[in-house]
Amino acid sequence: MSGYNKIINQSGTGAEKKTKGHWWMTVAPLYGFTILFVALPILYLIILSFLTRAQTWGVVNQFTLENYARIVKPVYLNTFKESFQLAILTTITTLLVGYPFGYFMARLPRKQKSFMMLLVVIPFWTSALMRMYGWIIIFRSNGILDKILMGLKITEKPLKLLYSYPAVLVGMIYSLLPFMILSVYSSTDKMDWSLVEAARDLGATRLKAFLTVTVKMTLPGILSGIVLVFIPSMGLFFIADILGGGKVMLVGNLIQNQLQSGRDWPFAAALSVVLMIFTSIMIWLYRKLSGVKDLEGLL
Amino acid sequence: MRKTWKRSAALAAAVVVLSTGIAGCGGNETSKAPETGVAESQEEKGTAQGSPEENPSGGGELNIYTWAEYVPQSVIDRFEEETGVRVNYTNFEANEEMLAKLETSGGGDYDIIIASDYIIKLAADEGLVKEIDLEKVPNYGNIDPIFQGFFYDPDNAMTVPYGPGIPLLVYDPAMVECEITGYESLWDPSLEDSVALMDSERVVMGMALKTMGESFNTEELDVIRAAGDKLMELAPNVRVLSQNQTQDYLLSGEVNAAFLFTSQVVLALAENPDLEVVYPEEGLGFGVDAAFIPVNAPNSDNAHAFLNFILDGEIGAEVSQQTYYLCPNKAAYEFLPEEFQKSLVISTEDIPNGEFIQDVGAEATALHEEIWTEFKAKLD
Repeated sequence: MSGYNKIINQSGTGAEKKTKGHWWMTVAPLYGFTILFVALPILYLIILSFLTRAQTWGVVNQFTLENYARIVKPVYLNTFKESFQLAILTTITTLLVGYPFGYFMARLPRKQKSFMMLLVVIPFWTSALMRMYGWIIIFRSNGILDKILMGLKITEKPLKLLYSYPAVLVGMIYSLLPFMILSVYSSTDKMDWSLVEAARDLGATRLKAFLTVTVKMTLPGILSGIVLVFIPSMGLFFIADILGGGKVMLVGNLIQNQLQSGRDWPFAAALSVVLMIFTSIMIWLYRKLSGVKDLEGLL
Repeated sequence: MRKTWKRSAALAAAVVVLSTGIAGCGGNETSKAPETGVAESQEEKGTAQGSPEENPSGGGELNIYTWAEYVPQSVIDRFEEETGVRVNYTNFEANEEMLAKLETSGGGDYDIIIASDYIIKLAADEGLVKEIDLEKVPNYGNIDPIFQGFFYDPDNAMTVPYGPGIPLLVYDPAMVECEITGYESLWDPSLEDSVALMDSERVVMGMALKTMGESFNTEELDVIRAAGDKLMELAPNVRVLSQNQTQDYLLSGEVNAAFLFTSQVVLALAENPDLEVVYPEEGLGFGVDAAFIPVNAPNSDNAHAFLNFILDGEIGAEVSQQTYYLCPNKAAYEFLPEEFQKSLVISTEDIPNGEFIQDVGAEATALHEEIWTEFKAKLD
């Protein structure tokens, strides 16, 4: 990956020389776009988080740290804690399922590989919302799952599966699994298998070769998968709403509530800023651990 | 506050839009049928009804902004046919979203907005609501006065009531062992894990406040806190919190008792007449969705024409039959079929007893939010 970066950099400097300092014209639109649609909104969000909410509607230009002070109230800290728990649980499960999946997918013959890839990607063609409603049909009382379980005489009466924490967890895992699979797949696919062979030749057992060589070489994929799963799972509030029956409150739900019924935009902004800080820490950790200096490793 | 099936309709609409690739909502179909409209709209222009806009299709435009599918398509079609005005229908999911947009546009962009009582009050306080020119709305007198003079428009100068309703308790007598007479009954231990409530802190907190004999809108923090403590005890009984299609949970047996908006009550009873409806003894809630014209509406004349149109008896009946809210239009009563006479007009006598959920101060709102967050943490 770093070799690839080098090539990019070299060609970049080459182009720079050729155009005699006018190179910025080519990147200006990109910078303009980033400043306008990324930097400014974030700046606005940060400023907003230090303002005071108006008595009825809107925001008053009055500096306060109150919004951040409120976040450490036990009730809101608890929301962060629950979100983290769910995100961690989601990440671990997707890793356990997604790693073998991505690994073996990369080792399939070419034709089967692209077919599997197609199967993984197809769900993306349908709205995520619609797919969540599919889970409702499976989980609801006397739904498909209940019918199967009762038909097999495993349970006697309908389970109350829907509108619970486990239902939300299943929805999260289901939505985010492809990101893990694809991350692991792409780094396994790029792997130099002769290194594993070398380890085996030098006497390593299959397991040892896997743990010391394969895992290490696919680590960037594992880590980018973790980042790609963990971060969104903090914010996918619609899954908590649909499968949790409005009973599971995550940070995403909390922010939405504050923006709407709470009408406390500054507090919502402060919550978002804190969430962004956590996200940034995750990405920083990722870079630190994987040794990848930019986010190109993220698929 | 009382948004409900519309929200899920919005979701459903979004799903349909995404999956079929039809862009926009409602407005699109309307643009498909300009041919019939053009001829009529030409004449319409002569009567100075249409706005002076440069619109090539004649008749001008009307931008409606409300929840998805809240104005029946048949009503929109008919309005377009009769006036030659092209209707653009935009939908929001939450009242607050509407007000934020309306504020950004300085009270422009939209011609007709239909939203809930409390948010109209805020919009009016912000100076975003236009006074209705009653001369342009001869049907204004058709409004049943029982639905007028409320806090958001005490002088009846700015709004036309569109969807009034009283939320009620509905339960399945075959499944419920205790006797349900009011909000307090929902705390009964026999209802464990079998109650559906609205996913709205002010409504649910309002129930707790009413059981203590307090107003929905108290700003006394101690009282709100006490109601919050009481609410926490309700947690074991709550199976689901939902704004949309909540009646489905009751009909499918997922829950045995539910607190439902008027439209949901009507739909639930239509599906299963054996369900029992309870007017909570502690006191009723009441809410009105009303239509208003934003202060800088680009097509004000068309907006007035539209208000007049929906206040027509026949059209008003059509609206109420499709939205399943109470009918605020006197002239429409005779056009309502028998079964709707019962469900849509019956409870008007209770309206004077119903209390609106109104905006409370920042501190009280923040406390409500906090209690709600705590309550939800108790639920999962």
